[in-house]
Amino acid sequence: MDPDFRGDSDHHDGTSDATPGGYAGQRRPGELAFALFLLAASLYLLWDAYGIAGFEALSSPGAVPMATTAAMVISALIVVLRTARLPKVATESVARDILPLKVILFGVLLLGFGLLLVPLGFLPTAALFLVVAIKYLSGRGWGFTLAVSLGSLLVIWVIFRIVFTVLMPAGIVPEAELLQFFRNLGNGGAE
Amino acid sequence: MKRFILGAASALVLGASGALAQDYPTKEIQGIIQWGAGGSTDTVMRSVTPHAEEILGGTVVLQNMTGAVGAIALNHVADSAADGYTLLMGAENPLLYKVMGLGERDYSAFTPVSILARGTPILVANTEAPFDDYAGMMDYIAENPGEVRFGATGPGGLPSVITGMIESVEGGLDVISVPYDGDGPALTALQGGAIDVMPAVLGASIEGIRAGNMKPLAVFDTQANDKLPDVPAVTSFNEDYNTYLPWGPFFGVFVPEGTPEDVVEKLSNAYNEAAQNPEFTELMDSRGYSIMAISGDEAEQFLTDWQQGTTWLLQDAGLTKNSPEDFGIARPGE
Amino acid sequence: MDTLMAILTVFTQPQLLLLVGLGTFLGVYIGAIPGLSVTMAVSILISFTFSWDVYPAISLMVGIYMGGVYGGSRTAILLNIPGAPSAIATAMDGYPMAQRGEAGEAIGVTTVMSFFGGLVGVAVLALAAPFVAEFALTFQPRDYMLLAVLGILLVGSLSSGSLVKGIFAGAFGIAIGAVGRDPLTFAERFTFDLQIMEGGISFIAVMIGMFGISEALLQLHHVGTDAIRQQIDRIVPSWGTVRKYLPLSLQTSSIGVIIGALPGTGGDIAALMAYDHAKRVTKKPTRPFGTGAMEGLVAPETANNAAVGGAFVPMMTLGIPGDAVTAIIIGALFIHGLNPGPMLMVDQPDMFWFIVGALLTANMFILICGLTGIKLFTKIVEMPRSVLIPLIMLLSVVGAYAVNNSVTDVYWMLGFGVFGYFMRHYGYPLGPVILGVILSRLLDDNWRRAIISEREDLGRFFEGIFTSPLSLVLFVAVVLIFVSQTPLWRMIFRRKGGQTGESGK
Repeated sequence: MDPDFRGDSDHHDGTSDATPGGYAGQRRPGELAFALFLLAASLYLLWDAYGIAGFEALSSPGAVPMATTAAMVISALIVVLRTARLPKVATESVARDILPLKVILFGVLLLGFGLLLVPLGFLPTAALFLVVAIKYLSGRGWGFTLAVSLGSLLVIWVIFRIVFTVLMPAGIVPEAELLQFFRNLGNGGAE
Repeated sequence: MKRFILGAASALVLGASGALAQDYPTKEIQGIIQWGAGGSTDTVMRSVTPHAEEILGGTVVLQNMTGAVGAIALNHVADSAADGYTLLMGAENPLLYKVMGLGERDYSAFTPVSILARGTPILVANTEAPFDDYAGMMDYIAENPGEVRFGATGPGGLPSVITGMIESVEGGLDVISVPYDGDGPALTALQGGAIDVMPAVLGASIEGIRAGNMKPLAVFDTQANDKLPDVPAVTSFNEDYNTYLPWGPFFGVFVPEGTPEDVVEKLSNAYNEAAQNPEFTELMDSRGYSIMAISGDEAEQFLTDWQQGTTWLLQDAGLTKNSPEDFGIARPGE
Repeated sequence: MDTLMAILTVFTQPQLLLLVGLGTFLGVYIGAIPGLSVTMAVSILISFTFSWDVYPAISLMVGIYMGGVYGGSRTAILLNIPGAPSAIATAMDGYPMAQRGEAGEAIGVTTVMSFFGGLVGVAVLALAAPFVAEFALTFQPRDYMLLAVLGILLVGSLSSGSLVKGIFAGAFGIAIGAVGRDPLTFAERFTFDLQIMEGGISFIAVMIGMFGISEALLQLHHVGTDAIRQQIDRIVPSWGTVRKYLPLSLQTSSIGVIIGALPGTGGDIAALMAYDHAKRVTKKPTRPFGTGAMEGLVAPETANNAAVGGAFVPMMTLGIPGDAVTAIIIGALFIHGLNPGPMLMVDQPDMFWFIVGALLTANMFILICGLTGIKLFTKIVEMPRSVLIPLIMLLSVVGAYAVNNSVTDVYWMLGFGVFGYFMRHYGYPLGPVILGVILSRLLDDNWRRAIISEREDLGRFFEGIFTSPLSLVLFVAVVLIFVSQTPLWRMIFRRKGGQTGESGK
């Protein structure tokens, strides 16, 4: 093993930049495909950057994008060539080490979160997400799941919505009316 | 507890049926600020809104929504319900979106609640620039073509309008135009000598002038400004500027078109009155802004005139992407 | 004498002291939560403190600012998710320490060093503000551009694995930063004619996705394993430890002050540059960098807190904001009837000294807040992963939304989260992406300004570089660092495995 390599030797999944994922002398399942994808995407972006202003001037808005996408293409190409030469890791498979069911499931959950956020509103969507996710991961009873997820959602909502007045999509919950009601209640009590 | 449930239930019903205008506001109002925190629009809106809230008897939650020269915020508010619960707090730029090719919408998709105040442009120079007034600058540019660096803030920004105005009045201006993303950074660069001249709003440069960190060349108005009585008006150098002046950027509050009239009226009264609050007027005066506090037809007329004058000025200077004609914006005086 | 009184204003009025303390305390938590930013908190405070007097209002803001910059390190160390961009470098060595159960020690050192960095920042502000501000003003567009290039070269020290992958990540970051309407010409770049792309991609959303979501997804692999027990009996570092890092922290604090004082650059860039600096000058780190080196914690944390004092330098002397937060504080002063600008120090010197005093106080509160609530924070990491992971995901969504009230940012965040997950698996570093996004505008805008100012003439551009001492120094630094990362360097100075060595072969 390369003495410089300080990757995560247990899981090879990149805990941080300082301990990057992957192997020093082997390629992981899907690594080549990912590198090829990056190369293709970089080529497309280079073409798109050329479309901004062509080679009009050194100061054109397309100059830096073109330079940077060109750097992407070159580095992606080197990565592809190097990765292709490496032997595959025999002990790993995409389904077990890169994209196990759990990760795919959470990908789908997050996608659902994103899609429902606007039509359904933040509170119901987030509650749904937390309940499903915590129930699935912890495997504990409904009492625990509901208490933990709704409790923490309430805390987060109070911090962001009330203290920081971040207006999350209200969706089907008339948040603003409810808040006004509480405000009136508060004012009424004070008078 | 019973009262609580009843209240919560009625709140739900109210939310579903849409509140009646005489009760307005029954919930908090969102104020979307077109520009980032700390900018001049942001500062103005955050200092006038608390006064307006008091008069309105409601809460206005201010949010900054930046991006695409304010077009993101404009589209967001234009697409939200016309019920008076979403306000756009903006500046003059949207009136130029169409001719600049930045978007299909401008304030014609909105009803003005209040045009709060107007600023005065001023031409300032680096203290080491080899000229001391407007006439000297024009002479220097004529003798040294392509050497003087003007600050700019992108097409349609105040500097581009002022530069366009100079070109219309004096003919071609052979200078280097260095783009910055706002007058703050450009004025910083001016003090560091990266640019020589900057057309800016008086409010942004007044403290720098007072401290002697930049020198004023001319006020772009028909008369000198109370705040800087020693700086000559540009019309004293060339009377032709009278055609275009007075001109200046402005700040205004808007609601989407179709908002119930009584709601608009309530909002207008609140913001117009708030703009007259002594605390606010003093604040604006110290920065050289003139309070306008106009609404209704008067505001509509102001917007139309402003758009006609400015878009055609930019069109004649060759700075536009689309002709104002394409959007039915008539040439002023026609 | 008046000066001393003004500095001591905060101490003589219990109300102000309380507000600074409260601000610092809140700031630590705001900073620790990714998506809650100091910028946001301070701009909300403008409305909130509208009817207050100016001193209490500023006290609270200063406290939140100081506390927030420090707070970013908490989640970086404990969860590997930087609470703010300025804590990205902190995660690189802080998280490995937490993995060894040394989070308490890491937080202790971070706190003391943040305090020290903050102190240097305030000292420079108090003693040399006009001088530093004048120096900052001399930076021309070409100097900013060279500074950005210098920053981009940090990719080398940020990518411990493959350098080529690091270069790709950095270039990708610069491209992300260019998305949207170009602020200078309004030309559309990488927008694919979609309206939602016009506003560009918020780099906070990219950061939250790449660090928050991808970390949460990675943690899914380890749901079953128990969380690491943290020892928190040894928090306050010994005097010997502090003294050992004093020379390094003085250097990195200076980097922080200067970068902080430059308008347009802030604590995020300062912290990364300081990390890089530490890597270069430290011959024998406590452990190799990236596996829990104390030096890797000391450098970014001193620098980003020193940058706070730095950011106030141009603000107080010239009315020019050093960063986004000071821009808002200028607005606050304005609303409270002051005229922030170059005359402020002449007209109202008390205000200047009051802010110096408030910063000093906030710094002390960092020591108090930082060294106390550690137990609570470490409890967070010891939470079962089955609860922690969904909560991180939810906070990431809320945080990405909160930046600009935009659902589009949430989609970007999720997209970059998934992308970052793959990048980690395949050994692409994430830090350079964020570095690229942060530096993109600095590089692009200033390159164009510089070349436009020279009428598109490269000859005149280089002439400018060689005739200005400042540009020349920056240029030489760029060349030296660049060469040191290429094989040429090793050929000259015998082969010696450097930190940036290629490991992909």
